Amino acid sequence: MSSALAPPSTKDRSDDLAALSVVPARHPWRWVGVAVVLVLVAQFVHGLVTNPGWDWPTFARYFTAESVLRAVGTTIVLTVLGTVLGFALGIAVALLRLSRSPFLQGVGWTYVWAFRSIPLIVQLLFWFNISYLYQRLSVGIPFGPELYSFETVQLISPMGAAVLGLALHQAAYAAEIVRSGVISVEPGQLEAAAALGIPRSRQLRRIVLPQAMRAILPNAANEVISLFKGTSVVSVMAIGELFYQVQVIYGRNARVVALLMVATVWYIVLTTLLSIGQHHVERYFARGARR
Amino acid sequence: MIEVLGVHKSFGATEVLRGVSLEVAAGEVVVVLGPSGSGKSTLLRTINHLEKVDRGFISIDGALVGYRRSGRRLYELKEREVLRQRAQIGFVFQNFNLFPHLTALQNVVEAPLAHGRARDEIHAEGRALLARVGLADKEDAYPRQLSGGQQQRVAIARALATRPKVVLFDEPTSALDPELVGEVLDVLRDLARSGTTMVVVTHEVGFAREVADRVVFLDGGVVVEEGPPAQVLDHPVHERTRAFLSKVL
Repeated sequence: MSSALAPPSTKDRSDDLAALSVVPARHPWRWVGVAVVLVLVAQFVHGLVTNPGWDWPTFARYFTAESVLRAVGTTIVLTVLGTVLGFALGIAVALLRLSRSPFLQGVGWTYVWAFRSIPLIVQLLFWFNISYLYQRLSVGIPFGPELYSFETVQLISPMGAAVLGLALHQAAYAAEIVRSGVISVEPGQLEAAAALGIPRSRQLRRIVLPQAMRAILPNAANEVISLFKGTSVVSVMAIGELFYQVQVIYGRNARVVALLMVATVWYIVLTTLLSIGQHHVERYFARGARR
Repeated sequence: MIEVLGVHKSFGATEVLRGVSLEVAAGEVVVVLGPSGSGKSTLLRTINHLEKVDRGFISIDGALVGYRRSGRRLYELKEREVLRQRAQIGFVFQNFNLFPHLTALQNVVEAPLAHGRARDEIHAEGRALLARVGLADKEDAYPRQLSGGQQQRVAIARALATRPKVVLFDEPTSALDPELVGEVLDVLRDLARSGTTMVVVTHEVGFAREVADRVVFLDGGVVVEEGPPAQVLDHPVHERTRAFLSKVL
């Protein structure tokens, strides 16, 4: 150490420092790491290609089969409806929890507590079997006359039950994500908006939510992606979404691995698209944060 | 114009304001001085009802701030009514509190747009306000792209955009680098000259001497001394005023 700090000898001092060539620091262990990982990846790829167990011809036959594509469509519909309805309700519940009224806060808290406590699969089966509990649903005045009534089975189809369950479940998590975003906004922002006399709903829409979005988005994207894969849970209700459909097919032809790969690759492809979308939406809401 | 009468305010066990009374006439520039913790900022924040007072009254142009009188009773105003009242009171924060996701012009026009006047008129007025604080060329800049002094000038333009009857300044230069203080004080000076009613909490004694019509010295939650700058700053009567001035001058 001391030798590096010692004044250079007379001969060195005559050299122009700018004329010296710079040797970058070497990182030999990085190259070792790269080599190890490359070997592992090569082995994995080799296995994928040469092991007949993966059964790629079957994979290729089913990957774009019509029944699989239809199931992918159902999965996407479930995800979109679960996300849209879940976040719409979630925003409402978050606003309840953020309200100044202790009563409304309690309502919001109870919702989140209840729907986070019940496992999704249990809730879905409840909705699926709701007609055992209530054969008819009717609109009317309590203890008074009945105005309309429906057969529960007609009102809540299996698909309806799935969407309902996913949305209600999602809303509880979405509410907490939205709330975390809102409380991450600096209090001075609300104070400035209040000092300017901006009405409260506009404060929320124009000042708070755009800033909260930065904290909300990464978590929300997580939720959408996990909901997307979570739709496989509704296979318990015999709805023809992706996971259910491949189960049906391998139940018939016993090509379990190939068909699981069909589902896996579809999940990977769609998750990738969602991640790309997330990147662009995040960039939009980061405006003003970059110089 | 502004009337503050026997205002008390406590945060938990600490009583920050212990009966402050203050009057500000239309067009007057009042500078509030005082050591940190003397209640200056709290006083300012009670005037536009960002803090509710525990006791005492504040009125602007004869209208009580935060309450409505009917016979022998005072009714607390709904939030919407409080917000409408606040539009008459401009407020400039120590930390600017500009909206970071909006451009300079969007920051300025946000409140007038919320109060629903014609869009073109508001934008023209917003540009004029930015020009007035010397930032005509920065209307599309986001706050983070501006220096502290520029941000505070945008914040002043924003406070003026609702055409307030009075503008309150809470230590407008305390968060600025020393070389940026001047540009903000220039804007304040210009406003004072144009007859804007202003209450300024500051540590800039030089500014007080030059611009203030009246200096109010606050300490321990009470007004210790007030009067024209020449009197309070150069011939203070109270020991506490003298002690404070000897530290800051």
